[in-house]
Amino acid sequence: MALASNPYHPYLGTLVGVDDLATDISLFQVALDDAEERERFTYRPGQFAFVSAFGVGEAPFCLTSTPLRGPVLEFAVNKIGTVTSALHRLGEGDVVGVRGPFGNWFPLDEMRDKHVILLGGGIGGAPLRPVIHTVLDNRADYDKLTTLWAARLPSLLIFTGEFDDWRAAPDTDLHVTVDQGDEAWTGNVGLITELLEKVAPSPENAVTITCGPPIMIKFTLLTLEKLGFTRDQMFVTLEAKMKCGMGKCGRCNLGEKFVCTDGPVFSYAEVSQFLESF
Amino acid sequence: MTDKIRAKARELLESGQVSCFIGYEEGTRGRVRPAFVYDPQDADRLIWDERCTHNLAVYLHQFQRPPRRGEEPPRVGILLKPCDSRSLNVLFQEEQIERERVYVVGLTCQGVKVNGQPEERCLRCSERVPLVYDLVLGSVPKVVGREDYADVVRLEGLPPGERLAFWMKEFDRCIRCYACRQACPACYCFECVAEQLDPQWMGIAIDVPQKQFFHVMRAYHLAGRCSGCNACEDACPMGIPLSLLNRKIAREVETMFGYKAGQDAVTVPPLATFKKEEALPL
Amino acid sequence: MKVTTRDDVTAWLDGLSERFTLIAPRAVEEQVLYRPVAGSSEIAFDFSRTDLPVKEYFLPATHVLLSIERGEEGVSVEEPSLDGEQVVFGLRPCDARALRVLDALFLEEEPVDPYYAERRERTALIGLACREMGEECFCTSLGLAPDDASDVDLMLTELADGYAVQVVTEKGERILGDLTLEEVEGTPPKPAVREKTPILEPEAWPQHFEHVYWVRVADRCLSCRLCTYVCPTCRCFDVRDYETPNGDIERLRAWDSCMAEGYRRIAGGHNPRPTKAQRLRNRFYCKFCYYPRDFGPVACVGCGRCISQCPVNVDVVEVLEGVAAL
Repeated sequence: MALASNPYHPYLGTLVGVDDLATDISLFQVALDDAEERERFTYRPGQFAFVSAFGVGEAPFCLTSTPLRGPVLEFAVNKIGTVTSALHRLGEGDVVGVRGPFGNWFPLDEMRDKHVILLGGGIGGAPLRPVIHTVLDNRADYDKLTTLWAARLPSLLIFTGEFDDWRAAPDTDLHVTVDQGDEAWTGNVGLITELLEKVAPSPENAVTITCGPPIMIKFTLLTLEKLGFTRDQMFVTLEAKMKCGMGKCGRCNLGEKFVCTDGPVFSYAEVSQFLESF
Repeated sequence: MTDKIRAKARELLESGQVSCFIGYEEGTRGRVRPAFVYDPQDADRLIWDERCTHNLAVYLHQFQRPPRRGEEPPRVGILLKPCDSRSLNVLFQEEQIERERVYVVGLTCQGVKVNGQPEERCLRCSERVPLVYDLVLGSVPKVVGREDYADVVRLEGLPPGERLAFWMKEFDRCIRCYACRQACPACYCFECVAEQLDPQWMGIAIDVPQKQFFHVMRAYHLAGRCSGCNACEDACPMGIPLSLLNRKIAREVETMFGYKAGQDAVTVPPLATFKKEEALPL
Repeated sequence: MKVTTRDDVTAWLDGLSERFTLIAPRAVEEQVLYRPVAGSSEIAFDFSRTDLPVKEYFLPATHVLLSIERGEEGVSVEEPSLDGEQVVFGLRPCDARALRVLDALFLEEEPVDPYYAERRERTALIGLACREMGEECFCTSLGLAPDDASDVDLMLTELADGYAVQVVTEKGERILGDLTLEEVEGTPPKPAVREKTPILEPEAWPQHFEHVYWVRVADRCLSCRLCTYVCPTCRCFDVRDYETPNGDIERLRAWDSCMAEGYRRIAGGHNPRPTKAQRLRNRFYCKFCYYPRDFGPVACVGCGRCISQCPVNVDVVEVLEGVAAL
């Protein structure tokens, strides 16, 4: 049977790089094997794809690359479950499957000429990285860029190798904090919400995007509200257990919204209308 | 007896000795169902008759956590038949529940019925008085059965090929809904082997090999722990005779270790302990 | 109306079973289930409602999505083939409507699910009108009727000495083949119906979301999966690779259930629905609020299987009445 176009059928891709990002977190760089599929795979910051570790299964990962910087797809993978553990056992040259892209994307067009404020906790920074790249690569289209980057420990901070590039750009601030320091750490220690209150960005002409563990998102949104941001100015990208990525398996709903098709990007205005909490 | 149950439940709730009383109530369409009474004024919802088949001990697990952090876990009152009380003893033996957290109203039992028909196990039942209780209600029944494992023996008498064919036919109908496991007070693992992904003992497939694995594995995990309450078989939507598996193993445990499940609250079940001396000669 | 005799129908069914896979109600131990039959003699003609719905032939309990081979030349991914055509005989209107409910998601919502679409395409549905509504049935409360022919290809209604036959679609016309039909006076008998249960409009459900009613109903829920598996419209599924003993990999799709405790748990432990009250509430809201608001139809056809089978008498009709009265 040749199923006309089978959305469950992954593209085949080869790992062209696996780089350490942090403890148990690696950056997987995938080049799709088929040229036509490479052409067709266009995506925007905020979207995600399913990566298959054949023999174990698939899991959704946000795309942490941006097509403007090249055809290689990048995913930040935290080794925490069966699929991610299987992926971490792979190396350069190994074959994986990719299905996607799925989901909606960050409203980058509406963010033009605005102060872009990004708040990333732990691996939650991964979907924000392509936003940073887009802003840096189109610097004139956006106003100030303020990034707050956090992790529980210094060894869990991701993309530290890019910090210098992020700081070097004009009108761009990067604030980093860890919940708990170590002997080598000389930077800020404290929760991201505390850092946010210290930095106290103005809500004037600003847009925020928050991503991280659910508890971090919840408290960060409360703090942003305290600082005067309205719910329309606050965006989040949510995570959920998924199996299909296209609203069929029924799993990722929050009330009548599906994280895979109506999200994963939502405004806080939308999130506060959800019947269920994420 | 219903009046006495209601009175006791009312008293326990009014005095604050328990925050919830678990019993039975009239359901819809002539059925009986588990009841959770929180307000002493609702105690009149409680009933007791031969339709009360459920083993309520399964609900004790959900009352183990305190309602708010820093508080004590709640005390509950519960209605238990003799078979159900054996399940409670198993939970005490395995330190899943503290004795002080439960007020047991034990009921002597004439047997229960499903759709008007007496359950077969009740005809064989020799333990008509609960083994653990704070209060026992009812008079000691005169009719007492005897367990002869006749149906187990009959199945054992079939040649292996026929026995396998019998079980494959039964497991074919199974839909892997886990009603049997969820209804069982002794199945309280946070993560069941059947659903574990790392390692993946069983696939997610709802096919005969996985279903066979699940049922046989579950029966083995219940060796020396199954009280014979039949909640599993009663819950099964496909009419699979699950109790045959459990009773086969119960009989083996009785033969090998001279042990019956849930007789007291302290003895450790034989498969949960290790003794240097073998019970049987090697 | 067009009528035919009992003998003609059995002969026709025998013929169908030779050309197609004929799926019909069959006695299996104490139950009646839709199963492939070798001929009309295996069919249980006298039944009220099968114990499992027909959905397993469209959304199988388990099936292979992809076959994956890892070889010297790399990885290859194949799709399984589905051979032959199916005819379902004895389909009750509620089960037929359930397929339409599933169509709203699997066929009418992009992207189309090719596995479901294939099975739907290759299956002809021969309906059998109910003589009366069962004890646990409430199809009429959902705007359905026990003799509703809208969702089948052919509808048969039992008469004293045969069947009335209604041809509904072209597919029905095709499989009718040479079954002799006679035109007679009159109309097929109407089935006995029961009183309707009030069902709240989807828009009216959100206001009751935080009500303690859900906690009280869920107290006795065992959090098994029985209701979702016997339900003709429940469709949640799991996908996982399985390595066969000879090293081949099958990507399997299998039924899953929103009632299971770990249904939403992600690796790392976070679970947005940790309590059974949240899960039970979500199931009712999914069926009567979310699904209709997202895809159109209410995801319940009033077949009553969950009512018959729930071990602890969580009765959807009682819940609907309870919610309407909140």
